[in-house]
Amino acid sequence: MKPRRVLAITRRIFAQFRHDRRTLALLFVVPLVILSLLYYLLRGGGGQPAVGVVNLDTGPLGAVVARQLESSSQVKASQLDLTTAQSRLRDDRLAGYIVLPTNFSSDVLQQGVLRPEVHLEGSQPAQSGAVLQALSQSLLAALGTLPSQPGLRPPRLDLRVTYLYGGPQLDTLDYFGGAFIGLVVFFLVFVITCVAFLRERSQGTLERLMASPLRRGEIVLGYMLGFTILALIQAAEVLLFSLYVIKVHNSGSVLLIFAFEALMALSAVNLGIFLSMFARTEFQAVQFIPLVVAPQLLLSGVIFPVSSEPTWLQAVSNVLPLTYVVDGLRDVMLKGADLSWAAIQLDAAVLGAFCLLMIVAAGATLRRRVA
Amino acid sequence: MPAQEDHAAEVTGVVKSFGRQAALQGVSLRLRRGEVYGLLGPNGSGKTTLIRCLLGLVKPDAGSVRVLGRLMPDLDVLSRVGYMTQAAALYPDLTVLENLRFFAAINGADAHLTEALRFVDLEDRRDSVVATLSGGMRTRASLACAIVHRPELLLLDEPTVGVDPQLRRRLWDQFGEMAERGTTLLISSHVMDEAERCQRLGLIRFGRLLAEGTVEELKEQAGVEKLEDAFLQLSAGEP
Repeated sequence: MKPRRVLAITRRIFAQFRHDRRTLALLFVVPLVILSLLYYLLRGGGGQPAVGVVNLDTGPLGAVVARQLESSSQVKASQLDLTTAQSRLRDDRLAGYIVLPTNFSSDVLQQGVLRPEVHLEGSQPAQSGAVLQALSQSLLAALGTLPSQPGLRPPRLDLRVTYLYGGPQLDTLDYFGGAFIGLVVFFLVFVITCVAFLRERSQGTLERLMASPLRRGEIVLGYMLGFTILALIQAAEVLLFSLYVIKVHNSGSVLLIFAFEALMALSAVNLGIFLSMFARTEFQAVQFIPLVVAPQLLLSGVIFPVSSEPTWLQAVSNVLPLTYVVDGLRDVMLKGADLSWAAIQLDAAVLGAFCLLMIVAAGATLRRRVA
Repeated sequence: MPAQEDHAAEVTGVVKSFGRQAALQGVSLRLRRGEVYGLLGPNGSGKTTLIRCLLGLVKPDAGSVRVLGRLMPDLDVLSRVGYMTQAAALYPDLTVLENLRFFAAINGADAHLTEALRFVDLEDRRDSVVATLSGGMRTRASLACAIVHRPELLLLDEPTVGVDPQLRRRLWDQFGEMAERGTTLLISSHVMDEAERCQRLGLIRFGRLLAEGTVEELKEQAGVEKLEDAFLQLSAGEP
């Protein structure tokens, strides 16, 4: 082993990186961006589910519990009246609300029973868990403020929980399943199309296609058909596996889920063609993966609900196409939404528009090639 | 000499630059139907740009290009034109036959698959995946893809680069054969001895057509014995 030869290879690698600024940027900038996003997601005041507290208690204890909830670090609690709380829950602006009934204090003092009512949105197990946890901590803290009476047993908890959607049978997989169906289809199709189209360019066959009567539209459409058919087969496989083998919960129409996947696949194909324009090598094409994947994975609501993000990040989330896929698929699968829901119409419209935009962009990409 | 000759392609005063790099500085040439025209010039002289202009892949800054009577760019006329790129541009993961079938289909022509395969002598390798072929076979397969739709005009960009002498001779025999059957061929090259097989030659350098004529005419014009000397002579005094 000769150090000179070893160093020759090392030095060559550095020389290559010097010529490939984009890879360098990826190496040093992207990790910071991802970590910063995580910072804002987890520490930036986001991450806590919004909770309404409806205090109807005629006694003193309700107010104490409500104050404890408001100061809880696990939830963003605010006192509301019952009708506001109900409508906000339906509008997805609350993860749940807690009602402290009129005889809340007297039940504790006379019967030794805590009877709060919890109404949860229910489609997000992690948020439901956080609400219940915050409530039990607040109850404990509230009881600690009572003057101790010797011989009095600590009160029993009689918790009544209702779910707007889903219910306690929903687990984390049910929540993530829907989102990941969209995610998997989107990214695999995007990567495959991008590399395939790049190869068309690098192996010189694109030049040959351009020197034939083929129209740009025909090339894009042909690619779209080919990869979309593949993607749809994949989407069907993923869907069937999710629903029937690992049994992800679904209360909506399977066809509607499939329609969302199809729109997603179509967008991904065209995004792939479009972005392949900006890569010279397959190596560079692969670099698009973290650029396209990381922000969407963090910001499209796959892991952290968009509603729990800081406001400025929500604005970013709202322009990411995957946000609408995740939202749509969850609405369908967890809430049983159908096309009559305004939320589903919005998701489908945004996706359709994104899809069209990508088709136009892919076509324009080819135009620039010929100049 | 007929007053009105039928030209397969007419290039008139074409100027093209890429940024500050001038690729073509006013090139005019005419390809007669059924001739083998050799475009001779060193690397970077503008041969490929000229061919891409003929295909409508490059839009000239000035001047005009007519191919088979149609003003370029014109996508439809391209179905009557064959183009073989410098490197054998094929789908490496498809078989020879699958490649042929594809290029025939995008040109919208009836596929003459067997004919094309026989022409390049690849009938026995028709089901081989292109990636497994030798360099020479790939060149032949690429030629087959350029002629599978029986083009009237065939543009070959340095088809014999990296080809062994045996295959080179065979290819030139085939080019001659095609011309006899009425195909017009434009073949670019930087190898002088190949040029002897062309009916007419154009010498291109620094994006200008320096001289044009038969091999004999060019030698005479330069007053030398060998074509190579003629080329050096005729391009002398240029920047």
